[in-house]
Amino acid sequence: MHEMAIARNIVNIAITAAEKEGAKKITRVNVVAGELRGIIPAQLIFSFGLMAENTIASGAYLDLEITPLIGKCKQCGEVFVVKDYCYVCPKCRGEDIQTVSGIELRVKDIEVE
Amino acid sequence: MKINVMTDVLEANDRIAAANSEVFKKHRNLVLNLMSSPGAGKTTLLEKTAEALKGKLRLGVIAGDIETTRDAERLQKYRLPVVQLTTGSACHLDANMVASALPHIDLSKLDILIIENVGNLVCPAEFKLGEDFKIMMLSVTEGDEKPLKYPLMFRESALLLINKIDLLKYTNFNLEEVKANARKVHPALEIIDISCTAGRGISEWIEWISQRYHKKFGIKTRA
Repeated sequence: MHEMAIARNIVNIAITAAEKEGAKKITRVNVVAGELRGIIPAQLIFSFGLMAENTIASGAYLDLEITPLIGKCKQCGEVFVVKDYCYVCPKCRGEDIQTVSGIELRVKDIEVE
Repeated sequence: MKINVMTDVLEANDRIAAANSEVFKKHRNLVLNLMSSPGAGKTTLLEKTAEALKGKLRLGVIAGDIETTRDAERLQKYRLPVVQLTTGSACHLDANMVASALPHIDLSKLDILIIENVGNLVCPAEFKLGEDFKIMMLSVTEGDEKPLKYPLMFRESALLLINKIDLLKYTNFNLEEVKANARKVHPALEIIDISCTAGRGISEWIEWISQRYHKKFGIKTRA
C-alpha cells in the first residue's frame, strides 16, 4: 500500500501550490505516474479521496496519466518501448539502457477556484 | 484556474534522504538498504554479517519492523549498535523515519550501517533513505516469478542475494530463470547465491561489502 503514502504527498503538494496562489478550493489534480512505479490507479484514487478529506482538496478529481516505460540505448541511440521490463536494446542487444520515461511520479498541474 | 506544479511526488522524501546521505558521508559510513519479503532471511543475514565482520568493519543496524522489537532483540547478543524503528502500519521505511533514528546511534563509531527495511517487495523500492546501495534478498521458497512481478525493486537494487539456496532441491524454484529474468530487468545487477543457515556465499557477501566500503572511502580497513 505505498499508494497511501503517495496520496498523502500528492495532497500536500497540491495544497501547497494552491495556497501559494491564494486559491480556496482544488477541483482537479493531474498526476503523471510511470508504469514502473507499479501504482494501482483505483487504490491511489481511493487513498487520495481519504487524504483530501477536510482539506481544500476535498472532492477534487484525481487524474492519473500512466506513462509507458521507454528506454534509450546508450550504445546505438535506439529509443524503444521496454516490453515486459526487458532492458535490452532490440536493435543492437546493448544492455546499457537509460530510462527515458516510465519511472516518473509527478504532480503535473492542478485546477483551482 | 490552472496552476502549473511539476513537483516530484516523493520530493520531500528525497530531500531528507539527501540530507541523511550527507550525514553518512561525514561519518564515513557505507549505508545499505536491505529489502525483501517477510521471512526471506534478513535478520539471519544480519546475524551472519555481524559475526563475519567482527574485527574487520564496525557494523550498526537500523531495523524497521511494523510492530515488534523482535529483530532488534535477536541482534543484541552480537553487541552491535541497533536501533529499532517500529513503523506502526507503514509498510516501508522512509527517509524521515531513518533521520529520526540517527540521534540514537553513534555513527562516528561505525563503518557499515545496514538499514533493514520492512518486509515487502513493493513499497520500500519507492523511498530513498540516503543509502549508498539497495540490496534485495529473495529466498528460493518464494517462487521464481518475482523479478517480473516486482520490477522496480530489481531495477533499483545493486545486488541480489538469493537466499536459502540449500533448500533449492526441495522446491520448484528455477534458479537460472530467476537470474535471467532479474538481469533482463537490470542487466548490471550483481547476484550472489547464499544460505544464511548453511553459511554458503557469506564470504562473497562480506567481500562485496568490503569492496564497496573501500571504493567509497579509498582506504584499508582498520583491522
